[in-house]
Amino acid sequence: MEEQDKSHLLPYARRADFKVGRATELSGRDRRLYRLLEIIPGALSWTILVGMIMASIYAPFFAAYFIIAFSIYWVLKTIFLSYHVRYNWKRLKHHMKIDWQVLVRRFNYEHFYHLIIFPYYPEPYEVLEEAVKGLLNAKYDHKKMIVVLAAEERAGAEAIGYAKRIEENYGHHFGHFLVTTHPANTPGELAGKGSNTHHALGVVQREVVAKYNIPHKDIITSIFDVDTVIYPDYFNCLLWHFLTVADPYKSAFQPVPLFNNNLWEAPALSRVMAMSSTFWQMIMQERPEKSATFSSHSVSYQALYEIGYGQANVVSEDSRIYWNLLVANDGKFDVVPLSYPISMDATIAPTLWGTIKNIYKQHRRWTYGVENWCYITYHFIKNKKIPLKRRLSIIALQGEGYSSLVTNPILLFILGWAPIFLGTREFHETVLSYELPIMVRNLLIIAMGGLVVSAIISLSLTPPRPEKYPRFKYLVMVVQWIMVPITMIVFSALPGLDAQTRLMLGKYMGFWVTPKRVNVK
Amino acid sequence: MPIEPEIKSLSYGRRKGFFLVLVVVFILALPAFIFYTSGYRLNFDNEETSIVTTGGVYITTDNLGVDVYLDEEKIEKPRLFRSAYYIQNIENGLHRLVVQGEGLQTWVKVLPVDSYIVTEAAAFNMPELPHIRPIASRLNLSGQGVYVVAGSTSTPLFTKATTTGNFVVVNRATPASLRVNSEYEYTVDLFATTTATSTSVFNRLEEEIEKLSTVPASTTATASISYIEQGNMRLVPRGEELSARWIGDGSATPHYFCAPAQASSTIAFRLGMHVMLQLEEQRLSTTTPLHTENNRLCRTEIRLDRKWQKIKYYEFFPQSSDLVVLRLEDGLYVTEIDDRAWQNTQLIYPGDKFEVRVTDTNIYIKEDGMYFELLTEIPEIN
Repeated sequence: MEEQDKSHLLPYARRADFKVGRATELSGRDRRLYRLLEIIPGALSWTILVGMIMASIYAPFFAAYFIIAFSIYWVLKTIFLSYHVRYNWKRLKHHMKIDWQVLVRRFNYEHFYHLIIFPYYPEPYEVLEEAVKGLLNAKYDHKKMIVVLAAEERAGAEAIGYAKRIEENYGHHFGHFLVTTHPANTPGELAGKGSNTHHALGVVQREVVAKYNIPHKDIITSIFDVDTVIYPDYFNCLLWHFLTVADPYKSAFQPVPLFNNNLWEAPALSRVMAMSSTFWQMIMQERPEKSATFSSHSVSYQALYEIGYGQANVVSEDSRIYWNLLVANDGKFDVVPLSYPISMDATIAPTLWGTIKNIYKQHRRWTYGVENWCYITYHFIKNKKIPLKRRLSIIALQGEGYSSLVTNPILLFILGWAPIFLGTREFHETVLSYELPIMVRNLLIIAMGGLVVSAIISLSLTPPRPEKYPRFKYLVMVVQWIMVPITMIVFSALPGLDAQTRLMLGKYMGFWVTPKRVNVK
Repeated sequence: MPIEPEIKSLSYGRRKGFFLVLVVVFILALPAFIFYTSGYRLNFDNEETSIVTTGGVYITTDNLGVDVYLDEEKIEKPRLFRSAYYIQNIENGLHRLVVQGEGLQTWVKVLPVDSYIVTEAAAFNMPELPHIRPIASRLNLSGQGVYVVAGSTSTPLFTKATTTGNFVVVNRATPASLRVNSEYEYTVDLFATTTATSTSVFNRLEEEIEKLSTVPASTTATASISYIEQGNMRLVPRGEELSARWIGDGSATPHYFCAPAQASSTIAFRLGMHVMLQLEEQRLSTTTPLHTENNRLCRTEIRLDRKWQKIKYYEFFPQSSDLVVLRLEDGLYVTEIDDRAWQNTQLIYPGDKFEVRVTDTNIYIKEDGMYFELLTEIPEIN
């Protein structure tokens, strides 16, 4: 339930529409505006795709020139992004060699607590245990950790029982250990990670923070997916950044998610998608002004408290929390890249078809993050205190990101050939018509060179090979990258288009929980 | 000393600089790539480098074992598809194309190539020596055709051709050891029927005259005349001549029916005097009028090369609407409808005392009471 007392909130966060999740929650002009914003991304993507087909039929020369321009753009974009990945890779490797504990000791840090929240739905006991064991391996005083296993009532007694068992077995190691149960069917909420976290933070406030009178500014909150296994120095690395950044209470801290817990067990398709997601986050680490929080991340408790713990009514809660903070702080909130990894699961299922379905659903949920574009545009219109340049820049960058995610792979690998098949006879008789596929093919081959960089970096981030897997599998892990054109269409463009179309039609999505499965040692 | 962290992300200035470099690359590359794909090339032949405009040739072949030559130079570039070559960087003007292969007749054509445009052509190469597959009335237990002859078994059969498929020649055979060849019966039936496809050009002409002299009181009378058609192509006899007529949508007219709207002398130079004359003839015609497509003049009909002989039989080549099988006085020919420069006409079976039937997939010949299939591709020898 939304807290009634709003006195502790930032002025903008007190607005009734601050935590809007969808147009139907508003009324009057605001509702119409928000609905229009929900329509725009899907309509734009469909316009681009259908426009390309129409241009191929009625203006094939224009379409052909556009495709050439687009292919060149794609090659240059690949070079540009590969440069970012390579730079971040070097930084990541460097940061993994550092003894962060030594660096943190330069500061007065003993009073800081780490609040770690693991929201989960029905997960195997082993998954929860792996996550908590990861915390025990952390090189940080465990008594300065507040650990929360945030269960869902709708997951059933058995799932909640797992958390209780974990508490019995490992709870005494930590300063505080809570098992929270998010009530089912709470009005105004969307069942999922966001609402569960929101509820858990409220419980922590009552039962730990207020009870033990811990200053809000002394708590750094990490909201982790339950499959997150931290590297031993994560909390020191996080704290060092917290202590050295210009304004720690106006910053969110983003690690690099490596989806490699189960990389050796995952099929090639899943590995490619997992590593592609990691690469994208590595790129964003080098462009922090363009990024938002994603998946597991950290932020000061004070900042969360000032916005009422984020939203309980959205699907893409991991990024929304950053946009909440940005809007509430009148644009004065940044993402600080840690360039330090955390490990998570690659999406897998017992069967290949199951894996394909799970990856598709997971990416549809991620790409439903386009709902955030509606949110930020809506509030950027409302909150004039945010510098106009920043507002326009973020709207354009985020909009371009969601649009290109959907349209670029389809334009490049499918509609790029449309003028050849749909063009007029006059076009078919030209050198341009014959040279176009040759030119596009050659440019794509050059662009595929970026995959060589990907293959090398992915191998370096792969966990040690378990004995049961042959060395030959390393070769498979290199060759697997040729699947990228397919994965871009099937697991980026199509789920993205699916998500945008649903939002456009007002058929709002719910939160789909990606099944977790880890290799239990 | 502990290692210090590299806290700085890639600096904004550095990223922006790199981005601007790529923008410049894009601005420079885009026109260059567009011009290149449109047919512009740098010419280093002269002392001063110049920009020239080029066209291309797209040529399809039925045989994979052929070589393609452009202006006497072998084309080494790989095929675009298994049976097609795309030759680029060809300067404006007339170019001689040759497609040849061992044991195959040579296809030659001189074609005009225009800047920015790809000239299309379809080559065909029939075997130099006829290859046939005998169809005997009886088969032995091994499936071989059996020919029973009265004289010596060493007298060769099918002397004009190379045979494919086993057969045996015997003086006599035990009927019990032989079985009926159903393909033989099918072939006999084929020759026994006088179908529309087997009508000679003279019978066809009579039908045409009858059609023209009859008042079109009903459409049934005209509808009763059946033409030989393949897709949207129809074979139409005119006197002793035979023409191919395009009956499909004007916008889909095959390229070889059309010529750029240029002066008659230019058309005669580029495509041949006969093309120019046919264009002039059809310009005035009411039955076969010219039409314009994409600034080109398109004929409705193309006259086929009959080598100054009488046409005894005609039919489309199996599974083709661009090639026609002609039974002339001295043998069986395949000719292309494409008459740019000239029509390649290739003899596929010599002689004047045989009958021929063409089905959708095969060419059958009956000669000296024996039946066989005429193969138009040299069979691979395993």
